[in-house]
Amino acid sequence: MSSLRDFSKKKKPEDYYVNLIQELERINGRLHAFNEISHDVDRGFPISVKDNICVDGMEATASSRMLKGYKPPFDATVVQKLKDAGFSVLGKTNMDEFGFGSFGINCISPARNPFDEERVAGGSSSGAAVAASIMKYHLAIAESTGGSISAPACFCGVVGFTPTYGVISRYGLIDYANSLDKIGFIARSSEDISDVFKLSVGKDGFDSTCADFKPLKKEKDRLVIINQLYERLDKGIKASFDRSVRRLSAKGFKIGYEDVNEIGYAVPAYYIVSMAEASTNLAKYTGFKYGEQLTDFSMDYNSFFSASRNVFGEEAKRKIVLGSFIRSASVRSMYYEKALKVRRLIINRLKEILDGSFIISPSMPVLAPKIEEARAFTPVQNYSMDVLTIPPNLCGFPSISLPSDYVGGLPTGMQIIGDHMEDLSILSFGKEWEKDFIYRFKYNIGEI
Amino acid sequence: MEKSEFERLLKICRLDLDKKEKDRLKDDTEEILKYFDQISKVDTHDLRPAFHPIELQGQTRKDKVIRFDKSERLLKNTKTHRFFVLGPKV
Repeated sequence: MSSLRDFSKKKKPEDYYVNLIQELERINGRLHAFNEISHDVDRGFPISVKDNICVDGMEATASSRMLKGYKPPFDATVVQKLKDAGFSVLGKTNMDEFGFGSFGINCISPARNPFDEERVAGGSSSGAAVAASIMKYHLAIAESTGGSISAPACFCGVVGFTPTYGVISRYGLIDYANSLDKIGFIARSSEDISDVFKLSVGKDGFDSTCADFKPLKKEKDRLVIINQLYERLDKGIKASFDRSVRRLSAKGFKIGYEDVNEIGYAVPAYYIVSMAEASTNLAKYTGFKYGEQLTDFSMDYNSFFSASRNVFGEEAKRKIVLGSFIRSASVRSMYYEKALKVRRLIINRLKEILDGSFIISPSMPVLAPKIEEARAFTPVQNYSMDVLTIPPNLCGFPSISLPSDYVGGLPTGMQIIGDHMEDLSILSFGKEWEKDFIYRFKYNIGEI
Repeated sequence: MEKSEFERLLKICRLDLDKKEKDRLKDDTEEILKYFDQISKVDTHDLRPAFHPIELQGQTRKDKVIRFDKSERLLKNTKTHRFFVLGPKV
């Protein structure tokens, strides 16, 4: 049974929400999943919202000092829809600053992995994945640009769903990269996500890029592994993935292998496009309209603007510099325009495969690293870790990360990619997987 | 990237960094650009750029006045003097 229906049927003690919040605050002191926990929740299924998505009256910082103190007076469309359906916002979840990261460490207090607190929770929706992993009844609204839902869901042993680009309104989302950002969900089952996804789609007059959701519900029994991605896996992950593939084969799925020579270019193409877009989005933070505010108005505009931008973290500054450079007239065609054409090439090639199959891979090529190990990665090592999650994100394909195994006590994840608008089909795949694969959790806060 | 070119880039970006941060960022920029350069090997001559991953029809809403009654709450996010947002001189 879905936990949404289970929760609504169960009789809850009068002090249920008070106890839930107290227990959550106690554990949050160690795990840093939430940037803010609400004390106003006394009914409804508890949801959390990533801190780059606006909730009326709650701080929306995107885990950046630049937005400290900013309280939007409105709800993002997705939040409004779920509030209208009876859900209650329990808090705002931690993340990499503005979504810039794969490990959740580009922020003041990184969220910690519930399976091993010395390890990363994954990013950028780190807090969202931890929240879903530690609470018995919970659904986290998250956001993905290049893998920010699948990566943390994989490391924290929960289900992460990234929809087709554009089918959920992004009104109220603090942008990272407009042609890549997608609002999605993290929870303990595909069924919970499926129920909430259906409530969240639909055109929105406040988002001119919001697409009409025209579901393609195809039952596919062929799963394709891309050889060039399989070769990139860490040894332990490869063995674990092979076990999952054998399990799927035993369930009747046909397994195929395909060469996609272009797939290796997805990561650089993604980072070029995302940095170009991020560098323009970050230009709106001027240090006097909201969030970080300087008070020395005697400075000229350029000095004032430069001084306010000092509060950005290291990765944000990197994106500003590189994004500004690759958009400049002399190299624009070499980097930015070329990357957009590479995106077209990869979309076309993957669509050929997705015509009759789903694409399957592990969600991450490694187990969750220790926080100190992740901090030691160079930027290129960091970006390369997204090799499996970037192809669907760059191309706007829906994807789901399902817990698929446990290695040395840590969860691993399996990613299923569908064609555009096949969101419900991959969620059905997840439900099928969950029929005989039992997920494990370290905490069950809020159990009734 | 030449030092002078990098300094110019920082100026355009309105980033005022100390020497240590500047040196690290310059090294990172060079490493990342080298990584990006690999896409030049891909043959894309007959392809259109994909500005969005799916084809979207631009949609606009009707141009009509709607009531917005949250101005005061919106302005609480900023320092104001009477009805003016305070900022630096331009």
